[in-house]
Amino acid sequence: MAKNAETDINKRARPVEKFDFFQDQRVRSIFYQLLTLSIVCWLGWYLISNTTENLAARGMSTGFGFLSSTAGFDADFKLIEYIPGKGSYGDIFIIGALNTLFISFFAIVVSTLFGFLLGVLRLSNNWLVSKVTLAYIEIFRNIPLLIQIVFWYIGVFSLLPVVRKTIDISFGSDMLLLNNRGLYLATPIYGELFWVTAVAFAAAVVGVLMMRYKAHRLQDKSGEQTPLMLRSLLLLIALPGVAFALTGAPLSWDMPVLEGFNFVGGTSLPPSFLALVVALSIYHSAQIAESVRAGILSVSRGQHDAAMAIGLKPGRVMALVIIPQAMPAIVPPMISQWMNTVKNSSLAIAIGYADIVSLFMQTGLNQAGHAVEMVGMTMAFYMFISLSISWLLNIYNKRVQLVER
Amino acid sequence: MAIITQNKTPTRPAPLSESSVLGWMRKSLFSSWFNSALTIFTLYIVYITLQGVYIWGFADASLVADNRRACYDNSLTGACWAGIIDWLDNIFYGRYPREEIWRIDLGALLLLLWMAPMWMRKVKGKIWIGITVVAFYPFLAGYLFAGGDKGLFMQLMIAAALVALPANLINMLLGLYKEQSLGQLLHTFCAKFSRDEKVQRNLLLALVVLSIVIAFVLQYQWQEQGVSWTKWGGLFLTMSIAGIGIAFSLPGGIILALGRRSKLPIIRVLSTGFIEVFRSVPLITVLFMATTMFPLFMPEGFVLNKLTQVIIAVCLFNACYMAETVRGGLQAIPKGQYEGAHTLGLGYWGTMGFIIMPQALKHMIPNIVGNFIGLLKDTTLVSIIGLFDLLGMLRSISRDVPWLGLHKEPLIFGAIIFFIICFSMSKYSRHLESKLATGNKN
Repeated sequence: MAKNAETDINKRARPVEKFDFFQDQRVRSIFYQLLTLSIVCWLGWYLISNTTENLAARGMSTGFGFLSSTAGFDADFKLIEYIPGKGSYGDIFIIGALNTLFISFFAIVVSTLFGFLLGVLRLSNNWLVSKVTLAYIEIFRNIPLLIQIVFWYIGVFSLLPVVRKTIDISFGSDMLLLNNRGLYLATPIYGELFWVTAVAFAAAVVGVLMMRYKAHRLQDKSGEQTPLMLRSLLLLIALPGVAFALTGAPLSWDMPVLEGFNFVGGTSLPPSFLALVVALSIYHSAQIAESVRAGILSVSRGQHDAAMAIGLKPGRVMALVIIPQAMPAIVPPMISQWMNTVKNSSLAIAIGYADIVSLFMQTGLNQAGHAVEMVGMTMAFYMFISLSISWLLNIYNKRVQLVER
Repeated sequence: MAIITQNKTPTRPAPLSESSVLGWMRKSLFSSWFNSALTIFTLYIVYITLQGVYIWGFADASLVADNRRACYDNSLTGACWAGIIDWLDNIFYGRYPREEIWRIDLGALLLLLWMAPMWMRKVKGKIWIGITVVAFYPFLAGYLFAGGDKGLFMQLMIAAALVALPANLINMLLGLYKEQSLGQLLHTFCAKFSRDEKVQRNLLLALVVLSIVIAFVLQYQWQEQGVSWTKWGGLFLTMSIAGIGIAFSLPGGIILALGRRSKLPIIRVLSTGFIEVFRSVPLITVLFMATTMFPLFMPEGFVLNKLTQVIIAVCLFNACYMAETVRGGLQAIPKGQYEGAHTLGLGYWGTMGFIIMPQALKHMIPNIVGNFIGLLKDTTLVSIIGLFDLLGMLRSISRDVPWLGLHKEPLIFGAIIFFIICFSMSKYSRHLESKLATGNKN
């Protein structure tokens, strides 16, 4: 009987896998994939063959050899040595890339700090402050960045007084001069013994860190708080100050001086740079403020109430309880805003700041005419930056996830 | 120690009510000395700003003047709006022939008429309205704006649009006054002739074909004078580019997002690569690619005009951004929805089309509208590569001889136009979000 039952089970009808070629999922999936792949390959081949044909018909050469040939134009703002007529297109690419990174860095720092401030002010208890911040955010988020950039350039920085009537914004010391040719800064020249001051400053920083560490230990042990603000400040100012005075003040300034029709000496930043930094900072600070606000609101109300209940002041509630918990929600959108800042700095082309797009991809392209290579290189540059930033973001996300729970 | 005192505590005055004006002010403006200082400081800044704007933009502004010099003679500290008023037609329509401007107005009016039922609660079949707008309106409007000769495909699409538009209007009127839809009406109409469903369906089909044939014959006579794309400009061009971009980027983005979440590795890798490449570069490089590289891509003798190149670039670029938004919506759908759809026996397209997509898109409405706003703002970039969109037109005011050097006012005017459009769009999307919230958020 038992044996019978077993054979019965074995004999019981099993769903037989019928292989229907047209209905089989695997066959279909492979078919669709091959179809897509062949269409894409055909498209790629079609485009490439057309391009080579067109290039041949127009007698244009291909390849990256042009990068070492000399470029005959100058950049109005550069961070490395470059002489037009001697430097190569490779140098032009590097100048443009550095300029993009340089301006993005400034815009990112300013917009992040300012955006944070605005995001916190937006949630202020003060009705008026909150509404004014709201108006700021809505106005600058809803106006195209390009209009803002052009406005700051043409409407503000180009309308500044001429060189003869330069404004001094450093209260009479002639170190920061602003006119319609840009901003002129005095550049420090370090003397031989300046390193002593630098070392003293580093020692002071280490000292302050140690004091803080000790104070934390003490507070953890006994709950006693040590006021550190005054002592740290004193240490930070006095130690390098004394070192500076003892070594005979080894620091002088390269001042911008009016010679003929323009300023010579110091560092100069063109109006296009200023306009771009201001416009990018304002636009992106409004965007960052929104993500900061959303992040802070994502922290549950109970955290705020509990912190108030143990007697923390509103400022410390924000700094010690709310912001640290809001960070995981704030940072990812903020980093993607940084990414957008880098990408939007390409709008420099509208006002002629020598970034990679306007210098390499427009002027360079007009001169050398290697459209495919030059546009490709510019895109590759941005892709590289974007990949690096998303790599950064992934690292942050992983760390936050480990800390959490 | 006695906790209870012998004397009665004196009654304190009632606290200032927070709902009264004074109480509200005390609570939200002057709750502490710091807050009071902040309030006064902010008030001062607001006052300075508003006063400056009022004096420059209204009190001292010149509205009527022949040229910039006359503006300055009128007042030195005010805006010169006269230049804007003089150029108003150019700002809105570009260099479109003045006697043909009615075509643009008509196109805008048709779009409004077509879209109006979307906002009416009583009208049914909103999905169909949306589909017909995206599928047929661009062709009708495209011919209306561009004119010239039309190919057979164009004629068919125009005929279909000419059927869809009245159908849509009838549907709207029926919904408003009889509370039924065109579909129901046709159904009852067909049911009068025969009970057989097959006959009914054939009858309906015949009706549609007949109306399309009539529309085709009607439109065959319709001939508009051709207007070259180089004459397009101003707000009209901005809206055209943004409109085509919006109409294409949503379906394109949905397809790319589905591709990126597909189980088929090759399709997934291709879609992911495509999306990531376009998302990691700035739009201006894509536009440059379109204008410098597209001519090389095309076979010899085939010339795309600049407007088409730009539109293709804008569409590709925004489809990739839309894809990421849609993907975000897809990720928010719980797995149970997919499993439920499978148990019902729905296939891939059935699951996606009937179960997943409607929820995902509803979830993502604010982000999708945010994307549209971004697209609209991004269209200003086409002025860099030499199209005369709104910004391009505004900037060319300063090169017009009577208004030489008039920069600020046009830019501020453009900013106001964009602000009005973008701000109302974002407000509307927030309103939609709260209206569509089904209450299953925890």
